[in-house]
Amino acid sequence: MFSIRLGFKNLSRQKRRNIITIFVIAFAFFGYLFMESMMNGMEEMSFDNIRNFETGNIQIAHPEYWEEREEFPLENLIHWDHELEEAIGQTQGVIAASPELKFSANLNNGIDEMGVIGLGVIPEKYNKVFQTQDYFIEGSIAVLEDNKAVIGDRLAELMDLKMNDYIILLVRTKEDTFNTIDVEIGGIVRTLNPMMNTNTVLLSLNTVQQSLNVDAGVTMISLQTSEVPEKNIIQSLEGTFKDKGLSIKAYSWRESAENVIAMSAAKKSGIGAIMSVVLLIGMVGIINNIILSGLERTSEIGMMKALGMKEWEIVFVFMIEAMGIGVLGSLFGCLFGYIGVYWLVNNGFYTGAWGDMSQYGIPILDRIYGVWNYPAFSYIFILGVVVAVLSSIVPAYWAAHKDPVEAIYHR
Amino acid sequence: MPLLELRKVKKIYKQGKIEVPALRGVDLTVEEGEFSTIFGPSGSGKTTLLNMIGCLDTPTEGEIQLNGNRISDLSKKELAMTRRYNIGFIFQSYNLIPVLTAYENVEFAIRLIGSLSEKKMRDKVLNMLEEVGLKGKENRKPNELSGGEKQRVAVARALIKEPKIILADEPTANLDSETAQDVIKNMIKMNEELGTTFIFSTHDPQIMEYARRFINLKDGTISSDKRRK
Repeated sequence: MFSIRLGFKNLSRQKRRNIITIFVIAFAFFGYLFMESMMNGMEEMSFDNIRNFETGNIQIAHPEYWEEREEFPLENLIHWDHELEEAIGQTQGVIAASPELKFSANLNNGIDEMGVIGLGVIPEKYNKVFQTQDYFIEGSIAVLEDNKAVIGDRLAELMDLKMNDYIILLVRTKEDTFNTIDVEIGGIVRTLNPMMNTNTVLLSLNTVQQSLNVDAGVTMISLQTSEVPEKNIIQSLEGTFKDKGLSIKAYSWRESAENVIAMSAAKKSGIGAIMSVVLLIGMVGIINNIILSGLERTSEIGMMKALGMKEWEIVFVFMIEAMGIGVLGSLFGCLFGYIGVYWLVNNGFYTGAWGDMSQYGIPILDRIYGVWNYPAFSYIFILGVVVAVLSSIVPAYWAAHKDPVEAIYHR
Repeated sequence: MPLLELRKVKKIYKQGKIEVPALRGVDLTVEEGEFSTIFGPSGSGKTTLLNMIGCLDTPTEGEIQLNGNRISDLSKKELAMTRRYNIGFIFQSYNLIPVLTAYENVEFAIRLIGSLSEKKMRDKVLNMLEEVGLKGKENRKPNELSGGEKQRVAVARALIKEPKIILADEPTANLDSETAQDVIKNMIKMNEELGTTFIFSTHDPQIMEYARRFINLKDGTISSDKRRK
């Protein structure tokens, strides 16, 4: 169609302006794709770090404990014994179970004191659920067997501690009396989860149970599961607990990570806001372009009307031109976006300059890696073209609606 | 039946509360194949009259008939269709599309009619460009053509769709006298060969001499209407 050819040929007019508009759209789209990849990457990493270092895939706890778990109470504990371990282990989809006793403590290095979270675990079982073992700078999780402690590198730095130093953990027992745990540091870890590195002390479960006077009590049991859907495993587990008359429940890791998930939801609305700004930039660029083109080509529009073109045919020519700008802007945007996301996926974005990300509730160490989201590329491309075409309609109609006599003799 | 008939055509422009009459009751009849000029001082209403005849504007009062059809009461869409099929325009400032070649500028007009096959359309456009003396310059863009050549493209563009009437508003005003005569001779040639009716306005007495009918417009009325003997 001739109008299509004319629309595209018109792109070669006002090259500088068109190029600026195309690149404004391209950079806006690049920004969107980059941010989207980074935020999705941040979400994925946050979830991985929660599952791999804090919660496992499923956690088992007393409902009353679950409600107050942020306070680390020593009530409503689970009695960990062979029978329970076997029952959990036989549930379809459960690969491993790690009992843990979580408590609050004050860590004293002889000079300073700071609040930490103590975690009593059985190393052999803990290793089957969590990945901490892979992130030891010094020592290993096995030292827990020798009544030694493992701490994060950030905590070590803060409290000026090193391997083989002794620390004192001031704790309150189940009866609310004070007790201390004196241990030697036998391992230092630097995991991908900043919370783990900053305020967690790993100890042997036995030691902690004795020190807190909770017998065989554990606060939670974390599970590593297979590909079986979490929902099915939770249902099976709760069926087993009911049969055994146990008043404990299973919870998805998502319930533990509700703060991060809430942030993720906020992130999604953030992406929506970014998308709106991006589209607004594109719309303003296109509208500006078409209005200026309409003004510059007034006498040409008059000539088109004199030739007998209908208004919608003139509008169509401008729409094709806008579509061309939209296509080129979106293409370059996707190209720049591809380069940016490729860099983000392979190199990661260093967040060290922003300080400790855990301060903002984001369980990521210091580098955010992007993730590929190919549908986002096609989505932004299509949306870019559609928005370009739609935003050209009103200014194009304004241009095409000019009085033919005034348009022809416009100087 | 005359090709064009105007009866008591008036056009009044409103500038705020003031009414400015541009045409004060024009009666005019033009037969098919005529080669006429409308002349008169600036502000006499030449362009307004051409705009009325060309369906670009509608009269405040009176009636215009083109080819037996009353056009003074048509809607915008119907006026556009009348212009598309029946009327060709040539403007003082050529009004060519700068991104299109000479060939494409002419092709543009015939594409709007869209009744020919691709091959016939191509042959017709090339023949028309040859007729107006632009053979070999088909692929040149307007900025690569002289003023006279640009106006010849405009003539070819007006003629390609074989309209009933071609209206030219000061077609030679931007050209030197030699080129102007060249363009007007080209228009005469087309008038004689194709029988297309031409009405053009001009200030230039030398160009006026080429017409066969002389319509003098003064203060919005026709003061004289003479034919060459």
